[in-house]
Amino acid sequence: MAELRKRGLVTAVICSDPFLTLGQNQARVFGVPDLPLVVIQHPLGGLALEGVKARAAAATPPLVNLIKAHSR
Amino acid sequence: MTALAELLRAPGASVEAEDDFDAVNELVRARGWGDGLPVVPPTEDRVREMLAYCDRPWHEPVAEIAPRYGEATPLRLAANAVMAGCESRYFPLLVLAIETMCEEPFNLYAIQATTHLCAPLVIVNGPVAQELNINSGHNAFGPGHRSNATLGRAIRLALLNIGGATPGSGDMSTFGAPSKYSYLVAENEAASPWEPLHVERGFPAEASTVTVAGAECPHNVNDHESLTAEGILTTIAGTMGIAGSNDVYYAAQPVVVMSPEHARTVAEGGFSKMDAKRFLQQHAHLPLGKFSRENIERRLRVTWQERYANAATDAPVFLVQNAQDIIIAVIGGAGKHSAYLPTFGATRAVTGVLKRRNGKYARSVEEFRKA
Repeated sequence: MAELRKRGLVTAVICSDPFLTLGQNQARVFGVPDLPLVVIQHPLGGLALEGVKARAAAATPPLVNLIKAHSR
Repeated sequence: MTALAELLRAPGASVEAEDDFDAVNELVRARGWGDGLPVVPPTEDRVREMLAYCDRPWHEPVAEIAPRYGEATPLRLAANAVMAGCESRYFPLLVLAIETMCEEPFNLYAIQATTHLCAPLVIVNGPVAQELNINSGHNAFGPGHRSNATLGRAIRLALLNIGGATPGSGDMSTFGAPSKYSYLVAENEAASPWEPLHVERGFPAEASTVTVAGAECPHNVNDHESLTAEGILTTIAGTMGIAGSNDVYYAAQPVVVMSPEHARTVAEGGFSKMDAKRFLQQHAHLPLGKFSRENIERRLRVTWQERYANAATDAPVFLVQNAQDIIIAVIGGAGKHSAYLPTFGATRAVTGVLKRRNGKYARSVEEFRKA
């Protein structure tokens, strides 16, 4: 993902809230400290399909905004 | 070789501290370094003494440790070895262990950052194990030997301080494990009826190696009654059959540690190590119905689709996919016990061999000592 970001593509990493700090650290390590991190509610594992859809619904607006911002 | 004092003048290479045990330890705690236990202050003199057993440039990285991908230079490793309480002559093995676990197939990033409770297990083989008095007998996984305790701890300190495996931000293990303090043993080659692990993995007996596996803590296998190879192996295989193991979902390499007594019974039954592996692979299984409905539908029928997509609940689910992948080591003292160490799953065991810079196998750590 870091490599894609460095090449100028629209990128984001979706992570659940306990993993935000890890994600921020890794973004710095890989040289893309501004890599967008879209945070969803924990957990993702073990969710029924409806729960997964709810997580996806929460993550979609920020992803759409990223794409819109990039295309301006 | 660049002088140590010169290296320490580089920005960030050293910190000033009061020459006092408690003050240094307070500094270490305040900086978020270490494993929570007190450390030996890594003074310039102590670090220099540690580096006496290093035949490489002290400032050139031997590896980059995930998840921070911090550069593991001999200088940094030496500071961590001092903090852990190592003798200087342990240092070549610390360098080798770190290099080995940073090889790609081991998948150190995942081992460090996962929610699983694995830790890099280091099994030492060859003459250096005896030279450094690494315990392979009674209580080999427990306390009592400086080399096991401090060398294992130095590895952990490097994983923390250089690799950034900080609990909650670099190491996301749900529980952690006591093996994350120190996890280093030697194989009890003298008591093994089979070829040592490093010979099995392609190295000459006179070479010294470390084999790293991303393993859980040992789980005991009590068998005081079996008098046959099949009996002992049946009990071990039965212990391996657990529904909550990561290994179910991967072509994994779990570790079976046999006590010398169990190993002898198995070997006297005419089993080679490979025979024992085949038996364990064939018998370590449990019926599909032992898994939860959700795990069957969402994972097993997906991960192993060709095998379980339409399988009945009595279909066997194998804990190990390939017999040769089971790592068997003979470790421990007297007693009718073995141990099973499941793994992270998405990791391959790697063996590194102790070599001097000229590429020759080192027969002794003294070959690393600078004249």
